[in-house]
Amino acid sequence: MQSEQLLQFSVVTTIVVGVSIVLGTITAALMEGRAVAKAFDDMARQPSVADQIRGLLFVVLAILESTAIYVLLICLILLFANPFANVFGL
Amino acid sequence: MGAITDIFPKTEFLILGIPVRDSIVHSWIITMILLAGAAWARKRLRTWEPRPWQLAIEYFYAYVIGLTRDYGGRALPEVIPLIATMLAYIAIANLLGMVPMLQAPTRDINVSAALSVVTLGSVWYFGIKERGAVRYLRQFINPLSLVSEVSRTLSMALRLFGNIMAGELIVATVFALVPPVAPILFNALTMITSVIQALVFAVLTLVFIVNATGVQSPS
Repeated sequence: MQSEQLLQFSVVTTIVVGVSIVLGTITAALMEGRAVAKAFDDMARQPSVADQIRGLLFVVLAILESTAIYVLLICLILLFANPFANVFGL
Repeated sequence: MGAITDIFPKTEFLILGIPVRDSIVHSWIITMILLAGAAWARKRLRTWEPRPWQLAIEYFYAYVIGLTRDYGGRALPEVIPLIATMLAYIAIANLLGMVPMLQAPTRDINVSAALSVVTLGSVWYFGIKERGAVRYLRQFINPLSLVSEVSRTLSMALRLFGNIMAGELIVATVFALVPPVAPILFNALTMITSVIQALVFAVLTLVFIVNATGVQSPS
């Protein structure tokens, strides 16, 4: 009974972590692609401000990336430091 | 998972009964590097025939001044040392993981949180200094501003910690799975993200300070 609950808990955690990582990275990558595409278009249209756009682009990309990092953090916590794991004596 | 848990911060020794983590020791190392470097370089600066290291320092400082001009609209002389120190400190801290015996102190959530509390404190300091205490604190009557202050601080800390810790975990996991050549690529990626995250932290601090002081760019 105990080991069956433990199996269920492990399987559900793994599936949730997998799905959330996939969703998190897909969203981040899509939105970063849109930002970069727009930045490249405007850099080609106005080469005089290309340096400023490039400077801002990296900062914005890091901020967008950080949302994917938040998803990764929660998944790492679920896998390595799960607060409900001590119910089963893990 | 025996070797992967080596990357998490652990207690190194006790001082007067208080456990001290290895990330604190590494932070002291960075502080000593910066202070010793500054003290050594200070007497050896010269205006004729500058040596390459002096040109590097001047390039870095000019870069920070350029940042404050871009995001602030004018050069704010009080803010420049803070931004330059944050950029140098966080860049060296993140890159300390590349050195064989050392680890990046920013992989400890407490170090990232401390840095972002420094940002919060400096935003309040410059905001109150520029606008006066009553006018600055009056914006917090709206509870949403309080929430935004807390969430900005939290997100800065989590962004820095998450990037560095995720890099370390990836390198440790790949190293446990694959022969030793593959982690070199991830180490290269870690070097890139280290410097970029340091830049993002410094730029965000600058942007928050500029917002708090209400500086209008001349246009």
